[in-house]
Amino acid sequence: MGPARCSGVGSGNSGAYTTEIAESLRFEEEIHSIVHPSLDSSPAAGGSFTALLGLPANQAVELLHETGPSEAPGSAAAPSPTGELWRLRLGEHAAGPLHLPLGCSPTFPSNAALVERAARFSVFAAEDSPALSSGGGPSPRLKAEPLDSDSPPLLPIPTEKTQRPAKRKECEKSKAKGPAKKSKSAEENTAAAAKETAAENTDGEKLPYVHVRARRGQATDSHSLAERARREKINARMKLLQELVPGCSKITGTALVLDEIINHVQSLQRQVEFLSMRLAAVNPRIDFGGLDSFLSAECGPLATANGRGGVALDPALWSSHPVTANGARWLPQPQIRHVDVWPTQQSSTAWTRDGPAHPHALLNPGASLVGYDPASSVLLNSNQLKTEL
Amino acid sequence: MESKSSTTGNRDNPNRNLHGSKTMMASHFLRALFRIQQTSTSSSSAGRSRRIRRAAYASMAYSAGTRRAWSRALLRKLRSRARLRFPRRLSRAATPQRRDMDQAQVLRKLVPGGPSMDDCKLLEETADYIRFLTTQVRLMQTVMDSVSS
Repeated sequence: MGPARCSGVGSGNSGAYTTEIAESLRFEEEIHSIVHPSLDSSPAAGGSFTALLGLPANQAVELLHETGPSEAPGSAAAPSPTGELWRLRLGEHAAGPLHLPLGCSPTFPSNAALVERAARFSVFAAEDSPALSSGGGPSPRLKAEPLDSDSPPLLPIPTEKTQRPAKRKECEKSKAKGPAKKSKSAEENTAAAAKETAAENTDGEKLPYVHVRARRGQATDSHSLAERARREKINARMKLLQELVPGCSKITGTALVLDEIINHVQSLQRQVEFLSMRLAAVNPRIDFGGLDSFLSAECGPLATANGRGGVALDPALWSSHPVTANGARWLPQPQIRHVDVWPTQQSSTAWTRDGPAHPHALLNPGASLVGYDPASSVLLNSNQLKTEL
Repeated sequence: MESKSSTTGNRDNPNRNLHGSKTMMASHFLRALFRIQQTSTSSSSAGRSRRIRRAAYASMAYSAGTRRAWSRALLRKLRSRARLRFPRRLSRAATPQRRDMDQAQVLRKLVPGGPSMDDCKLLEETADYIRFLTTQVRLMQTVMDSVSS
């Protein structure tokens, strides 16, 4: 796709700097339409190369000048500034400075480097525009997806969760438009499959377009497309589940992973059960008297209790790391496993109050809170509880 | 607060924090504990533990809201006052036949609202369910620790 576009530019290779600028300016209409919506702070202008790049003037000049001295490294240098260009367009909307690794000397850029860069830029534009033009409504999101990836020209777009396999005619329409606009992709399918979805909204009234490009060597009929979409959806969810379940990320194979997941859910449910049994045993010893005033407002008492410095504690405690600085007794994540192990070591029916000494759950009958001054001790305890939470 | 952060928690898939729902879960659960302690001072420990377990699942479901299929199913179960039955025993499921065929089946039995979900949604709901279950377990552990210290 590059050469087809840039042959015109390459032909004006007589050495005049201005000709190249003029040539590259021809892409401006296309690029502007892409660049300007995405750039929040596009610099003024019309018809300048700087506006084209969306850079502030000095940085653009730097960019132009730096290709001069770097001619020898040539292809090594050219990709990196284009990479920078992409990154500029991609995420930062020309807000961040362009980190040019090379010291610039005020020489005119060589033809080849500029042409090459313009070529890549136009490749990017060519890649982008058909996707945009056929995108319609969800086009900003589709653009956002390729923009998020770091990799070079072929836009591997990470497949996100797809909705139910949607309008096939739009698929075919987008695929028809694609090859029409890109000469290169007519010969070979692009290496990525792009899907556009509404991630969360499964009850949307109108289905978004699903742009699917077939991977190389794969069938493109609608059934296998839908199947592939479903399979990728399921695989994405399995991956998320693997992250949730501890120790699951190294397991390969769906069956084993599912086994782990099932075990994990069962162990969690068992933990809830045993904890509720223990709480039932401990409960009569708690005087919840002062708690009601705390719990009457949801956030109020928590805010006041957290004023003691527990605000920082709050997110920290709910993470997997124990917070011992405050003296809060908190089970670290691996010890939840310990709790899981413990019930299986003794039979669940034989669980008694005077069970074996457990490191963190010594139900000491003598340490009843009722013995103390109820109001202050309960208050203190609830405060501590609140800060821990 | 709760609704806003739980929607963003749903959308920030990499983020996965339950920040807003935790507070609601905690307050709901503690209130329920308080009520249980007040109303059943003389009843057996088993009855109380059943009620506490029910309160745990209730606070999970309330903090998850109606956005999730599993929480809706849980709330339905709780409101109909049916006894909360959970598969505690492993013995039957340990047979080798469980391997490939029944995995989705077993998972459907575990996750509330499971039987009426397709595989894809089942996985999604399982992930959310695991998250909330973990939070609930941690909450109960904290209560346990703070009470017994």
